[in-house]
Amino acid sequence: MRKTQRLFAIAGAACVALSSALLFTACADGEEKQVLRIYNWEDYICNENDEEAGYVDLVAAFEEAYGCEVEYSTFGTNENMYNELKINEGSYDLVCPSDYMIMKMINEDMCEPFTEDFKTNSSYAENVSPYIREIFEENGWDDYAVGYMWGTMGFMYNPAASDTIAEDVQSWKVLENEAYYKKATLKDSVRDTYFYALACVYNDELAALADEYESGDMTAEEYNDELNVIMNRTDEDTVEAARQYLRDVKKNIYGFEVDSGKNDMVTGKIDINFCWSGDAAYGIYEASEEDGSSLAYSVPDYVSNIWFDGWVIPKGGNVELAEAFLDFISTPEHAMMNMDYIGYTSVLAGDEIYTDWVLDSYEVAEEGARLQELIDSGDVREYDLGYFFSDDPDTDEYTFYAYAEDKSGMLGAQYPEYGVVTRCAVMQFFEEDANNRINMMWEDVKGAEIPIPAVIFIAVIVVALGGAYLVAKYGYDWFRGKPKKGYTKVDDDK
Amino acid sequence: MVRFHFSRKQLCIPYAVFLALFVIIPMLLILLYAFTGEDADGNLYFSFANFLEFFSSTSKLQTLGVSLTIAFITTFFCLIIAYPVAYILARSGWKRTNVLLMLFIVPMWLNFVLRITALRELLNIIGFLGNYDYVNTVIGMVYDFLPFMILPLYNSLQKMDNSLLEAANDLGAGPVHTFLHVTLPLSMPGILSGITMVFMPSMTNYVVSETLGNSNITILGKMIEEYFSTYDDMHMGSLISIILLVIIFITMLVSGGFKQNADESSARGANLW
Repeated sequence: MRKTQRLFAIAGAACVALSSALLFTACADGEEKQVLRIYNWEDYICNENDEEAGYVDLVAAFEEAYGCEVEYSTFGTNENMYNELKINEGSYDLVCPSDYMIMKMINEDMCEPFTEDFKTNSSYAENVSPYIREIFEENGWDDYAVGYMWGTMGFMYNPAASDTIAEDVQSWKVLENEAYYKKATLKDSVRDTYFYALACVYNDELAALADEYESGDMTAEEYNDELNVIMNRTDEDTVEAARQYLRDVKKNIYGFEVDSGKNDMVTGKIDINFCWSGDAAYGIYEASEEDGSSLAYSVPDYVSNIWFDGWVIPKGGNVELAEAFLDFISTPEHAMMNMDYIGYTSVLAGDEIYTDWVLDSYEVAEEGARLQELIDSGDVREYDLGYFFSDDPDTDEYTFYAYAEDKSGMLGAQYPEYGVVTRCAVMQFFEEDANNRINMMWEDVKGAEIPIPAVIFIAVIVVALGGAYLVAKYGYDWFRGKPKKGYTKVDDDK
Repeated sequence: MVRFHFSRKQLCIPYAVFLALFVIIPMLLILLYAFTGEDADGNLYFSFANFLEFFSSTSKLQTLGVSLTIAFITTFFCLIIAYPVAYILARSGWKRTNVLLMLFIVPMWLNFVLRITALRELLNIIGFLGNYDYVNTVIGMVYDFLPFMILPLYNSLQKMDNSLLEAANDLGAGPVHTFLHVTLPLSMPGILSGITMVFMPSMTNYVVSETLGNSNITILGKMIEEYFSTYDDMHMGSLISIILLVIIFITMLVSGGFKQNADESSARGANLW
């Protein structure tokens, strides 16, 4: 009886504690603040106040401006994000997946469409680059997704590593080159490295296509469509060829990384790093800050990957608040803060960004005769970003003079020229069959063989231990050593 | 006025809840996922497909082999290095042994990811990084797990009765004989405990193989991670976890971890776990 009393007492106390806790939260709710739940990549928004650098914590600033609360959480891979959305449906208002994941989510009907009002009348609609808008419209993402950051893939390299490295990295196949044995890295990420493998496996076909385009037989659009077809092949033969290629090239490279590569470039452990343009911008900047050494970025010939990260509103999300947030971060001022903080390039264009960001960082300061001199010597050249900043493809309003070697391709990493983006393919998401095939290919590539010396070593240990045991057990007399002075041996087992 | 008296049983409730939530339920979930598949509607059905796939896939078996190889060599070197250290610490008459012991234990208080990151730079300076992926991985693992080997050995050696050694000496045994027939058998519980403490974690500690082997080596821990976070296949991931559990049980069985021998191992405090 007393036992049950005690139990009741405990249960009662627990109930009181619990209900008072509930009461408390209910009170807090009573004040009614709207909550925006954002799910973003790690380190992918400016959320630090730093007056010196001109940063504002955008999340906190938004909370203040709109009188709402932001629950901000982060993820590390698209797949983790996707799983989280599947497990906790309706627990986020705004997420930031990559291009192929956006396609997958749209395909699976996981997203709320943006309102007409937002699509026509918001700082995003006003500022988004026409080039990006067109890609989103072409692929039918514009109803459900809003761009955030974009870029290309290429090689970050150390120009001091060899005399020919600048030409060598113009080919994707440079990683086969024994001159760079154990000096280059690939991405430890199946999609990016698969793309890399395709660029190598179909190198000849892509070269022929580029010739055809250059000879003027096809338009830029046709050329780009062809590229997209080649770079999205997932049939068995292609995957097998990719597997073989990657297994071969693995023997020549330093390793796979997703995060350490840019630092390894800066510290000089490696000379070539297959990377996203944003990481290259970061690496180039860090290296020059650290010891004044210069790294460079270039997009190899024939093909590259153009990628985007964008915002989508998962089903059941608070559309109104999500749109308000996107409107808030899409002003030129905030976009530049973000670019500065993250190092990636925003999909937003607009004259303010062109003047305050592009021209401010890259335009040649020299004027008049001195400028002409530089142009004549080939140190300075025209750089045309009309395709990104303007609706009119023929405009030269967005053409400026930049150093040909400007900041080792920093400009090219942030804003590739039109010639580069025409040879960039968007990577679609893989159908389930193809996805499994490519995953298994990847597992096979990443798997290492058991090293033979290690096996021999283990065998020797096992034999030695076994031998020692046998000696201890049977050859015991011989092994036990001499008895001390003044003692004689006895058969101790008897 | 109610007075609270907790019986022993009631005091156990929090622990029981903890174990259920964080050990038993997760294990059951792993078991559930390992032997099920998912149809198009997301319904689970019983299947051995994952099991069969694991044992028919070259790359998976290879990874299992690589993990076992690395774990074996790591354990061997830990034992070789730790035994003399533990012996000196426990048996020498030196008064400052406590300080020495501390020196070996102090690194354990630092996060091992940090230690491995630091080790990476060191290996780079001596030119190993990038060239000897396996060697680096083993070095990293030994560095990480050495304290786990030293501690149980130290415990069992320290608690050894000195009079036994004196008796052996009295009866005419030389130092080699004494070591082989008195010290070694008496420290066996410590050795076995150390082996279990080192062998299992070094099969899955993929931070080491990633950082020091530049991701050129895939071990089982990494493979599980890939299945959960990249391949989006929790079923295969769970199955690999089950295989690891089975290996744990086998090592415990072999090393006598299940033996309820009060006067042998546990009384000596050699079993850390």
